[in-house]
Order: sequence, then structure tokens, then C-alpha cells
Amino acid sequence: MKRFCICAIIICAFLFAPKLSAQSISGIVTDQSNVTLPGVSIYIKGTTIGTIPDIEGRYFIEILEGDIVSDSLTLVLSCIGYTTKEFRFPFDPGLIITRNVVLMEEAEMLAEFVVVGYGVQRESDVTGAISIIKLNEITNLPVISIDQALQGKAAGVQVSQTTGQPGESVKVRIRGIGTINNNDPLYIVDGVPTKDIAGILNTEDIESMTVLKDAASAAIYGSRAGNGVIIIETKKGQEGKARLSYNFYGGIQTHGHITPMCNTEEYIKIFNEAAVADGRDIIPDGIRPQLSNTNWLDEIYRTAFIQNHQLSISGGSANSTYLFGGGYQQQDGIILNSAYERINFKISLTSRLTEWAKVGTNLNASYSARDLIGGSGDGYGGNGGSVIRYAFFRTPPIPVYEKNGEYSDLPKFEGYSRSKLNTWFGDGYNPVGLANKYDWKADIYRMFGNVFANFDIYEGLVFRSDLGIDLTVVEEKRFNENWGTDGRINSPNSLVRGSSTAFVYNWTNTLNYTRTFKEKHHTSFLIGTEAIQSDFREQVGSDRDFPNQSPSLRYLGNGLSISKGASESEYGWSLLSGFGRINYNFDNRYLVEAVVRFDGSSRFTSDNRWGSFYSGSAGWNVHNEKFMSNFNWLSQLKPRISIGQSGNQEIGLYNYISILNDDYNYPFGGNLNYGYAVEVLGNINTTWETTTTYDIGLDMAFFDDRLTVITDYYWRFTDNMLIPVPLPPSVGSASPPFVNAGKVLNRGLECEIFWREKVNDFKYEIRGNFATLYNEVLSLSNGRPIAAGRIDNGVFATLTEEGYPIGSFFMYEMEGIFQNELDIFTHAYQGPNIKPGDVMFKDQNGDGVINEKDRVHVGSPIPKLTYGFTANLSWKKFDLSFFFQGVYGNKIYMQINHDIEGFYRGFNVTKRYYDNHWTGEGSTNEYPRASWIGAANNKKASTRFLEPGSYFRLKNLTLGYTFDFKEKAGNGRLRVYFSVQNLFTITKYPGLDPEMYESNNLRGENVKNADLAAGIDWGTYPIPRIYTIGINLDL
Amino acid sequence: MKRSYFYISTMLIILLGLSGCKKFLDEDLMGQQSDKQFFQTADDAELALTGIYNVLSFANSDNRIWVFGDVASDDAAKGGIPGDQADIGLIDDFVVSTENGNLENVWAIYYEGVSRANKLLDHIDNIDMDPVRRGKIKGEAKFLRAYYYYWLVNIFGDIPVHTTTPTPEEMQKPVTPINQIFVEVIQADLIDAAALLSDEQTGANLGRATKGAANSLLSKVYLFQKKYPQAEAKALEVVNSGLYDLIHIYKENFEAATKNNSETVFAVQHLSGQAPWLGNRLNQWFAPRVENGYGFNVPTQSFVDAFEKTAEDIYDPRLDYTVGREGHHWFSDTAMFNPEWSPTGYMQKKYLQPLNEVPKELKADGELNYVFIRYAEVLLILAEALNEQGNSGEALVYLNMIRKRARESYLYDKDLPGYGTIPDGLLPDVISGSQSEVRDAIRHERRVELGFEFHRYFDIIRYGPDYAYEALQDKVNFNYEKYKHFPIPQSELDTNHEI
Repeated sequence: MKRFCICAIIICAFLFAPKLSAQSISGIVTDQSNVTLPGVSIYIKGTTIGTIPDIEGRYFIEILEGDIVSDSLTLVLSCIGYTTKEFRFPFDPGLIITRNVVLMEEAEMLAEFVVVGYGVQRESDVTGAISIIKLNEITNLPVISIDQALQGKAAGVQVSQTTGQPGESVKVRIRGIGTINNNDPLYIVDGVPTKDIAGILNTEDIESMTVLKDAASAAIYGSRAGNGVIIIETKKGQEGKARLSYNFYGGIQTHGHITPMCNTEEYIKIFNEAAVADGRDIIPDGIRPQLSNTNWLDEIYRTAFIQNHQLSISGGSANSTYLFGGGYQQQDGIILNSAYERINFKISLTSRLTEWAKVGTNLNASYSARDLIGGSGDGYGGNGGSVIRYAFFRTPPIPVYEKNGEYSDLPKFEGYSRSKLNTWFGDGYNPVGLANKYDWKADIYRMFGNVFANFDIYEGLVFRSDLGIDLTVVEEKRFNENWGTDGRINSPNSLVRGSSTAFVYNWTNTLNYTRTFKEKHHTSFLIGTEAIQSDFREQVGSDRDFPNQSPSLRYLGNGLSISKGASESEYGWSLLSGFGRINYNFDNRYLVEAVVRFDGSSRFTSDNRWGSFYSGSAGWNVHNEKFMSNFNWLSQLKPRISIGQSGNQEIGLYNYISILNDDYNYPFGGNLNYGYAVEVLGNINTTWETTTTYDIGLDMAFFDDRLTVITDYYWRFTDNMLIPVPLPPSVGSASPPFVNAGKVLNRGLECEIFWREKVNDFKYEIRGNFATLYNEVLSLSNGRPIAAGRIDNGVFATLTEEGYPIGSFFMYEMEGIFQNELDIFTHAYQGPNIKPGDVMFKDQNGDGVINEKDRVHVGSPIPKLTYGFTANLSWKKFDLSFFFQGVYGNKIYMQINHDIEGFYRGFNVTKRYYDNHWTGEGSTNEYPRASWIGAANNKKASTRFLEPGSYFRLKNLTLGYTFDFKEKAGNGRLRVYFSVQNLFTITKYPGLDPEMYESNNLRGENVKNADLAAGIDWGTYPIPRIYTIGINLDL
Repeated sequence: MKRSYFYISTMLIILLGLSGCKKFLDEDLMGQQSDKQFFQTADDAELALTGIYNVLSFANSDNRIWVFGDVASDDAAKGGIPGDQADIGLIDDFVVSTENGNLENVWAIYYEGVSRANKLLDHIDNIDMDPVRRGKIKGEAKFLRAYYYYWLVNIFGDIPVHTTTPTPEEMQKPVTPINQIFVEVIQADLIDAAALLSDEQTGANLGRATKGAANSLLSKVYLFQKKYPQAEAKALEVVNSGLYDLIHIYKENFEAATKNNSETVFAVQHLSGQAPWLGNRLNQWFAPRVENGYGFNVPTQSFVDAFEKTAEDIYDPRLDYTVGREGHHWFSDTAMFNPEWSPTGYMQKKYLQPLNEVPKELKADGELNYVFIRYAEVLLILAEALNEQGNSGEALVYLNMIRKRARESYLYDKDLPGYGTIPDGLLPDVISGSQSEVRDAIRHERRVELGFEFHRYFDIIRYGPDYAYEALQDKVNFNYEKYKHFPIPQSELDTNHEI
């Protein structure tokens, strides 16, 4: 059949070929492994003459005399994923040219050029510390957000999901935690800066991501680069015929590990054990026939669907390219009533106006909708509390539904008083009812993109102007339905509706000059300006006492409350910058780079608003030295060094102003009089937080680049950290002003290793990376340590203090269990009611009394080591990839265990506690006795609830098969794959999922910094396991 | 052509540079006021003044002067359920560390009041406004500053003083001796205030500080310094103003319908049903738990025993106006007081409203004022000042006015059993006595007349160690020198390195 086709083509070609006055060009096109490439488009530049190769890679083009006016032609061969090749030949009718072409994979091409700030650079010229992630590393991952796709892919880039709820935000930390203020990196998407890339892009839209880690590479972004920069380039149309690409995956999600909890029988047994110990009423046997045996964790989980469709059409001519794309994503949550959905569009156009002028645009529009439930925290942050948490709490004897079909609430069994039942079976909410009653929706509309113009002014001199916009509109609605026994939950019912608009625009101009003098002096200069302005507006309305709770009436105005809430706020910031960069490369051996950026920010007074950030770096391509010519096995040896500064302007917008507020009222004559008072003190002297990074690196490659090793060691100092240094209360109680005072160190080793090999049809590549991190607060100036991570009234889990990591856990240290009265007598005094079986705390200061002064730093939520490991294997048309990712050395405070092992209320108890708790001398040194009286001591915040957070996870496993086929419009490719996300996790962490960041409670706290209260598990929505099948279709 | 584009692009960059003049980087505060924009108009001054008054309120649970005035004294015990608000118990027991939350609360609130007053007084002279109005506002601000310092020095003794908004350097401030603060700050402010303030505040201004309030507090401050002639003069000025009166029925001073009556010299105003709340939270803090209260600050047996009774066991009517006790009604004709509500068997009533006035769910939003100075106290100050100057005879005139009003409750209060006739031997006039006997009589009268108005502990301390050890004999940890004043809270010690 194949042969027939080929014959037919050849015959046809001969049949219809005019005899004379035509020129032909033919040959075979393959990749560097001599494998044919079906999807190549071949055409003569500036004409419509073109073809595609046949199945064996042969192409044939005939050019008729009349079609061509020029006497020189350019043949273009292009293919997605490969570098476009062009060559010129003279037009000479009758001439037959044969040209075999090898196209290089673009991955290798990109390895040569990397995207850096405001431009590209040859990789061999790079002197800063950067990590590059290419598209093939992140496609196929069923992740909703592209920052999620970064996880485990670059050394020193820690990515954590806050919770596993669909559409939840992701925390990205580059080289540790530099400040008690904002630690989020800056993203540059096609030249447009943003701090939030949620929902703008799909992984399939991404061409490459470059992480600028050290100050030398990031300093060009100045005051916004202190936390690192991630530059994202999206796919663009390419010259050639129209191509269609369709990607789909769909599948199901399930939950992973479930913490074993007591069943009804076990619950009653341990309850009665404690009741006897404490002299309380036991649960009588007589009630047993009425009891259910509900596994609440099972009840709230479901098998949930996920699907994703992405379609794009791209192509172009010599003068213009285009890409139109769209997508639909939908993910149901594995817990009831949570979901995420997104529709997005993308347009990318470029048009060459003249030989030297080009204009273009990249625009992304998206709509995302979230159905939310409480995913973390206990409700202190206003989310109503984590549903998982209540599933842990709720005791198994209570059924999910009452006999009348309504959700059960307080335990109801005949013949017993409510107060007794509440004591026996608890008053925790019904998590199934709670989840399903959530009416909490967030709609997010985003428009993001730019228009640009590019002028080739003179040889090597390019001027570019970019105008970018970033518009985000968020509509949020939450109705708190009144339900439960006697309407005890959410009484009265209430509605909150908020709407916010954030608009940022930037105008960026750069002038770039690249020139080589006398063959060996390669130089490049960049100067530029940038203006960024942001405006944010929000309106919030609220109402309560809705007489009718029907969903169609949950609108503002329908409540009976006379005081309906209405509030509005607006704020803005702007940044004006000038920057420049010089690169000099002598003979590809000695490389130096210097960068400067001047930033002016509206966040400071005019006297303090300008900051300048410098960096310098140097590299030496030792392998290009003559004396290295004998070391054939070493293809690259490049030591690098860099020093530089960048800033953090992500601080309060008006820190320099003292702000008055209303609501300080007082009645005169029985009437309200409005009053004002200073609420926040400003400090007109505040200025930039500055991050100085010292970096030494070594790039090595061996065996013709088959093995690449990139290593960096860095020291990153944050100076002038803005901290609210507490004032003497004798000057009043307005919030203290921010003062530039603190100092933080992050240092670590980073290593990325890449090995690839091909043996006949078998290709494999292995990428691994790891990074160590040491974090320490060097100084808080006169400031007091900052307590954060509130776990109870006045009790905080973390303390950020000089000499310890940011957000370090601070609590009592559990020493064991008092086994007998003698233990209690000989140990430091812990209080009057201590009995054998109670938790023993360490007397840290040796004063013979256990009190608040015995709390110590016991570990940090910051991993000491993060790593990722990817293996891609392919054999013939099969491909298989594994992606492992993990963290090591961090701790998680299991606040949820305080509730389900702390034994202080009518909550269910873990099986682990049930099986192992203290029952008599020598029974255990880990789990205290079952007693509510003892709980006051035993559930104190201590290392008892501190657990290791290390984990090793098979993040993704994918098996695919590619069909090449040919059809009318051209050759195509269809890949079918099966993939599993989060297949297994190896961890000692006993909770549902060790991957988490701050909880929702943060919103209710005074100190609202995620990094100061990270790693506290109140019962967190876990990350699902996802099974998908997918296709990639390219035509 | 190319060249022209080069020029254009160069111009673009230059233009951008120019447009980047200062304006681009000026982002104004929106929706809120900065202190630069504020303090421009007379209305701003009024708003800031109201902000100073705002601090007075007991809508704020942290306003804990009652812990020091009552719970620390022999009149009251902590109450509440055991373990709840343990820090109050530690003050009751005189086991007071610098970290006691009540110290921090009161310190922070009363200094916030000082700070707001300083801010307004710093700016007011620069505001273009009617000078008369300015004078009134200054007078009120100074009165309030004196009020806040009055509480601070009484509780803490020697403390740092700010009379203007401090610069960052001035925020570190050593303490000033209490006597100096009395003279240079409190007295000075009150003298200025008395000169500036109106004699009366009525209608929509009812509740604002008056000349009488300033003079009354001034006389009290003199009394505390044992400057008796001055105390006498100022108290007499209030008496002679003719603006105040002892009302017939004592308990009406503590009822919502009759608040701000002619006996009120200065009262902290409360108003329920506002957002944010301006109601009196003491209505919840002091109420029994069965009424959704917390049950704190309960009378002791010693306080109850201090009330005089007749041979027929008829008590000074002020006892049942002040205290709920077994066998007596509790705010209604039907409900009886249940002694199980309180660990001492008594509860106080001066800040509580019946449930038909403030329902359970709004318990913390009471309507009653806190009357800081009643005319009755002015008379007692006058009596004390006279007696201490050796004029015991004249002192008795004023003392007996108080006693007369108390016993004559029987002539006016229809709710009293036996209404219409004063029971025999009830609260007879004190006819004569030595200076020391009259002193004792005045001290006794202050205790029962002003009970649970947050003054007792400061009276005990100013009467001296002999009196104090006698009064606080049940409190084994009490030490006069140590607890003449309470310690400065830890949060201040941690942040003010000049102390």
C-alpha cells in the first residue's frame, strides 16, 4: 500500500510536470537520528509553492518559470518542535537540485538560546543562575495551573499546593523564604509582568519557562525580582501551512491515604474507658441498637471527573504568523460540592510591516468558576472550617441522615437527653451536610496580554516597545444557609457578595544592540524603560435574615436585616524604571555581564522612592580553551560567579502614611456621633527591602552533551526587611509603622543533572534536580519575635525569631508519658492534676516548673531538601515517563490530631490512638491516657503533634503510543496516552497529605504572611490521585 | 526611513522619561484619610474629638478599670466560673506579674485615649475655625486627657508622659513621678479645661465634658494629693454653681430611663443598637450566667456588711440598690435572686439592666452609662477636704446630705417595703465627732455610697497602709508598698527601653 502511494505520487509528478522551464528541488528530510519527520512543511519563501514530505521523508518541489520573478529563492523547512531551516538557491529553470535536510530538535535549539530578562541569550553565554523548563517536560501533566507544572522541575524552586481543592492557589518559593513580607516570585509572560498566573494559561500553551534564580539574572527586574523571576514564553504561530493541534485528557480522581478512625464499637469503648477514669457517665449499652456506624471520611469523598480540551490552529507566511487557541477544563473535587471549571482563549499574531518593522500581539482571555467549600483551617479565617476536619471529628454512631431524610446534626437517639447525647457523641457538624450546604462561588475573569512593535533600526540595533495589560475581575458570592438542630448553624443566615477589579498595565521599551568586533569581541547592550501602574477596586455587600433560603432568592436585598453592609475600597501603585545591561564575551571563553536597574515606586515618599539595583557576573568557558582540546569527553566546563541586588516592593502600598479611620464613634445626647482616629502609623522613612545574592556555579557537560551537570551554591541575604517593630503601648495602640530593620539569610546548594542516550530505537533521558536550603532570621532589629499560626486563643504554633528559620515551630517538647507517681514526683512540676499516663514535657530552662518559658524551637516547615526526578523513555512508538518529586526535612504541626487524639471533646479518635494509648505502666511512652481531665495537659501545643513532613511521591506516570498517519491535509501525528498523577507517596506523615501550605485561618490572623504560618494541618483537603487517558493530535 | 524610526523611538523613550515625572509615582490614599489630609476643618476637629471620647466606652471589653477599682479591693471578688479570666483572679489575689493581661489592656486603652487627645491638641491651633468653638474642643480634649492620665497614674503610679504626639525618638520615654504628673499634666489640663468648657451640655451635646466635670475631677485630684484647701475650693465651686443636685431615688442613677440626671457630673455614655457597638458590655460581664452573662466582679460579704442597718434589721436601702442577695427580687417583681449565681452569693446591679430592657442575645449591648463622678461624690470630697482642714462641723453638713438622701429613699421609692415612712434609726445624721471620727464616717460613707463605681481600691491606697492592711486583711499576698501601684505591663517594658 505504501509503495503504491509513493509510486502514484512519483508517476503523477512525472505526468503533470511541464517538460522545460521548470526547476525542481528534492531530497529527504529527517531528524538527527535519521528518523523521518512526517509533519514538516516545505515551501518556497514568499510564494505559495510548497509541499510536505512523504512517509519516507522524500520531498519534491517543482517551480515553474512563470511563478517566480526573483532570481534567488529560499527553501524553508519547518516542523513543530524542530528548528526551521532555510537555504537559498539560484532560480535557474531546468536545474535539478537535490538537498537532504536534517532538522534539529528544538529542545536542542533552545538549549542554545535561552530566554532571559528582556531578551534572549546564548546558553553558553549565561553567567547567572537560571533553570530552564521546556514544554515537553510539562505537557501531559494533568495540572490546572502552570505554576503547579513547575513542581520538581527546577532545583531551588519549591512548589506547594495550599490544599488539594480544585482551583486552589499554589505557592512558589525560589531559593527559600527571604522576608516576612511577600515571597511570591514575579512572572513575566510574553513580556508582561504579573504576580499571579492562575488561570491565564494552560500547560499546552507554554513554549518554555526560565527561572531566574540569582540576583545577576534577575536584577534586570529590579525591585520586583527579590523573590526570583519566572519568564514564560508561550507558543506562537510558525511560518508554514496551517496546523491544527488538539489535546485532550479525561479521567477520574480518587482520594489517597485515609487516616483510620475508630468505628462505633471502638469509639464507645475508649469513651467509656475515659468516662470511668474521669468519673463520668458511660455510654449505656442500651443505646447501642439505635447507633449507626458511619465512616465520615468515606462519606465526604467521591470519585470525581476531570477533563481538558485544548485546540489550537497556527501557521503563517513569511510576513505574518498566527495562533488561535481555546480550551476547556473541568475538574470536580474529590470532596462533595467542590469543583473548578475554566474556558480560555488565546490569540497570538505577528505581522512584518516592512523589512525592519514587525508588530504583534499575544492575548489570553479566560473565565474560571470555582465551587468552594472549606478546604483548610477551623473557620477562624472565615471559610466555615474545613469539611475534612468535621469528617474527622464526627463520631461514627451518628447517621448521615435522619429518618426524615434531612442531614443529621446533633445526635438524636430516643430515650436520652440532648445534653447527655452531646457529651457522648459530640456536637461537631455533619460534614456531608456542611459540604453540600456550601453555596460559595467565585468567578474569575482575566484578560492578559500585550501588543508590541519591533524595529530593526540598524544592523544589530533593535528597538522594541511592549504595551501589556493584566485585568482580573473576581465575583464572589457566599450564602451561609441556616440549618441544623433548631437552626443552630449559621444563625441567622447571611449573604456576602464581593466584586473586585484589578487592572495593571505596563509599557516597556527596550533598545538592544548586539555586535561582534574583530570576530572575538562579542558585545551586547540593552537599555530600557518600563512604566507599570495598577489599580484595584472592590465592593462588598452583605445581607442577612433571609426569610426564604431558596437559591433563587439568595440575592442582596432579600434579607430582613435593617443594617445591610456595603463597603468599598480602592488602591493603586505604580512603578517607573530605567535599566541597562552589558554583556561582553571574548572569544566565547571569557564572559562578563553587568546589570543596573533604577526603580521608582509609589509605595515610598518622594525622598525614598528611587532605588538602584546592580549586579555583575562572570563566567569562563574553560572547555573552549586550547589546553582543553584533548579532553574530548568533556564538552562543557564553565565556572560562573555572580553578585547582585534586587528588591522587594511587594509591601504595604501606603506604609509611609498614617491612616485615620472612622468607626470611633460616641453617643452624645442619645445620638450616635461619628469619630475618627489614627489606626495605622506611617513611617515616611520606609524604603526598599533589598536582596543580595552571591552565587557560584559550575556548568559541566560530558560525552558530547549526553550528560549535563549544573551546580550552584548561593548565599541570599535580605536586608532592610520591612517589619512592624512594636511600639511602646504608651504611644497609643495604632498599628506600628513598618521599619526597615530585619535581615534574613537563605543559602543552599542546587544541582541539576541531565542524561540522555539513544540505543537504536530506544531513547531515554533522565533529569534530576535537588536543592538544599538553610534559612535563618539574622536580625529583627529591636523587634520582638513574631508569633504566628494561631492554633488557639493566645496560642501560636510558630515564632519567627532571630537565629531560627522564618515560621519556625515553637512549643513544648514532649519527653514521654508519666508512667507512675514517682515519675511525676521526680519530674519538673507540671500542675496539680497530673496523673500517670499524662504527657511529660521537657523542663528546658531547668527551673523545676513547666511553664510558657519551656517552649523551644522544635523544627521548621521549610524543607531542608527538595528534589525532583524525571525519566523519559521511548522505544519505537512507545513512550513512558516517570516523574518523582519530594521534600525532606520539614515538619508539619498536626493541629487536627490535637482534636482527634487530644481527647478533650466529643470527637472521634484515630485508630492509632485507640490501639496505642496508655493503659498502664510501661504500655506506651507516646500516646497519653484517655481522659478529658488529663487532656488539659496532654493536648498542649507540643511536639506530640509535630510530625515529619518529608515525602517522596510518584507525581506522574505516563505511557503513550504515537501513530503517524497521513491524510488529505498533510501528515499528522496522534499520540494516545494513559497517565496517573500522584500514584503513590512514601511518607511518615500520618495525615491525609503532607503537601500543604498556609491554612485558611491566615485570613483571620493579625500576621497575614503565609510563610510565618505554613505547615499547620487543621485537616486539609488532600491532593487527588488522577487517572487520565489523553490524546495529542497534530495535523 | 529607518533613521526616522530611530528618531521616533528615541523620542518615545525620552517622552516616557518625561512622563515619568513625579506625578506618575504619586498614588494617593483612596477611600481613607491620611493624617495629612485630616485636621483641616472644624468638622475634622469634631470628628477627632469624638474619637477621643470613643476610648471612654465600656463597649470595649478590654476597658478593665473595674478590675483594679473593685476586684482588687475588699468590695469585690473575681466571680465568674473558676479558671475563666484567670488574670483577673490573680489581681484579686495579688499575684500580679507584668504579663497580666488586665495591666496590658488598661494601659493600652488609656494611653490610646491620651494619644488621640495629643494628636488633636497638636493640630487644633492650625485649623482655621471659629475660636470659640476651638476653645470648647480644646477644653474637652484636655479634660479627656486628664481623665485618662487620672486612671493611669492611679493604677500604675510613675509612668511615661506624652503631651504631644511623640517622634520616633521620643517614643522611648522614661517614667515621670506620679506627683509631677498630677501637677504638671492632670491639674494643668483640668485648670485649662475648666476655663474653656461650658457650664452645661444639653440636648444633642449631653454627655460632653462640662466646667463642672473639670472642676470636680480637679477637686478629686487635689484631694488625692492631700491639697485640701484647693480641693475644697474646687468642690465648692461645683456646689455653688447650682447646676447639680442629689436626686431623690439613689437607684435612678443606675437606670436607663433616668441616666444623665442632675446628679451626673460626668458619665461615660453608652447607646445600644449601634454598629460598631457603643453599648455597655459590663451588662454582660457582670450579669449571671443564666442571663447570658459572665458573672464577674461580685460583692464580698465584707462589702455587704459595711451597710448600716437599724435595730429592726432594716438595711441602708443602698445595699439592695447595689447588690443582689438571697431572698430579694432580681430586677422584677417575680424573679428572685439566686445566690448560686455567684461564688460569694451576691451580685452587683449598678451596670445591669433587666432582660426586658436588653434581651439575652444582646446582653453585651447595654444602655447604662458609667457615672464617673456623681454630685454625691463632690459633696463627699468637700466633706473630706473640710474635715482634713479641721473643719469637721462643716464637713458633717455635706456628709449628712448624702445620708439624708439615702434614708429618704423611703419617702420617694414606691418599690421599697414600707414606703412612705423612714424606718426608725435608719441612717441617722452624724451629729458630731472628732476629726478622726468624722474621717471614719466619711470613709464609710464613700464606701457604701460609691460602691462598685470603681473607686474603692484607690481610696484604700490613698488612706494609707494602716487602712489598707486592715481592709485587705483577707488578701495574704497584699503588700502596700508593692501594690500601691500595679506594675507597668511587660509589653511596655519590652518596647520602651527607657524604663
